[in-house]
Amino acid sequence: MGKILILNGSPRAPKSNSKRYAEIFMRYSSGEVVYQNITRKNHQELCAALNGYTDLLLVFPLYADALPVGMLQFLKVLEANPPQRKPVISILINCGFLEYEQNKVAMQMMELFCRRNGYRLGARLMLGSGEAILDTPFRFIAVRSIRKLARSVAQGTCQTYCATMPLPKKIFQWAANRYWTNYGKRFGMTKKQMQTPDIES
Amino acid sequence: MKLILSDRPLHFPVLTDDTRYFDLSALKIANCVGCFGCWTKTPGRCVIRDDATRIYPCIAASDTLLYVSRLCYGSYDVLMKTMLERAIPVQQAFIRIHCRETHHEQRAVVPKKATIIVYADTEIEEEERQIFRQLVIRNAYNMNFESFEILFTTESQVNSLAKEIVTQWERF
Ligand SMILES: Cc1cc2nc3c(=O)[nH]c(=O)nc-3n(C[C@H](O)[C@H](O)[C@H](O)COP(=O)(O)O)c2cc1C
Repeated sequence: MGKILILNGSPRAPKSNSKRYAEIFMRYSSGEVVYQNITRKNHQELCAALNGYTDLLLVFPLYADALPVGMLQFLKVLEANPPQRKPVISILINCGFLEYEQNKVAMQMMELFCRRNGYRLGARLMLGSGEAILDTPFRFIAVRSIRKLARSVAQGTCQTYCATMPLPKKIFQWAANRYWTNYGKRFGMTKKQMQTPDIES
Repeated sequence: MKLILSDRPLHFPVLTDDTRYFDLSALKIANCVGCFGCWTKTPGRCVIRDDATRIYPCIAASDTLLYVSRLCYGSYDVLMKTMLERAIPVQQAFIRIHCRETHHEQRAVVPKKATIIVYADTEIEEEERQIFRQLVIRNAYNMNFESFEILFTTESQVNSLAKEIVTQWERF
């Protein structure tokens, strides 16, 4: 039976969507699964801990079309401190925009890292509308895709999955804008104030 | 305005008055914490009051820019990537449909001609070049690049290449 380490590479890991996705993954995993956040200070420690695992699942958001810089820093430390027995690396990336395809470049970066450093690539999932989907009626779509991911990791089948909300872009735009307007209201901001063209002034 | 952002010190003869140059390696810029405060609490302003707050207004205001960064797994390396993440105050929370995809509305962000010099110690393999090109194509949508050019080079050539680009700017 495999042993899976899930590492959350979100800069806001304790309160992140990635954490919620990891929790769903754990619900559908039967073997031993350990979850940890990647923090600024624990990179070495996490690299050392990897020796005890057959699988590593990296869960993180898309930031500026690529890996969040904290993930990049962690991967550099991992490259310099490889475990003796390398786990299979599986990947779950979520992005805010509707199109899961926007995660592709970040996935390719991870694939390049794995190839260069001799890690076998496991299962992969790209989620679009990742900021919102869990709190909508489309939650089941995210859950279903994560269940498939968990199964693929357990079976070592290295599948790639993708999912997003099945909405026309216009409707997504409308719903997202309503979400952000309400978000701003909590801080006493009107939509107009949030739309200010001013930057630092 | 013209902007040069580099992750290493560069040496130029004299820059024109409308050119701003920042050496990221000499500045203090923390990682974005993903709080979305710059969209919802203090629109257009980041809560982390470090050197990034001097740079993202210049990113927004520039019509011509040069980014110089080391390459790392097909991405900008840490210093440049940190700054690009910290530049999200120039966008709004709100979504627009742009080039048939969902993207953020921009604040007062001038359309730009971007030149990006990426370098490595050794020859850059084609797969990594391809990933970086794809990255910049995506950046162009989110960062308002109306055109861009990517130059791959080695560390030893960076300064002369950057100088060449800036000299061309001054000629036109
Ligand atoms: C600095 C920053 C940059 C982001 N860049 C992108 C992006 O390029 N594309 C995208 O679809 N979402 C982007 N997002 C949105 C996040 O990917 C999205 O909110 C995600 O659900 C966050 O996941 P997390 O809570 O696990 O960190 C960005 C968010 C931040 C804070």
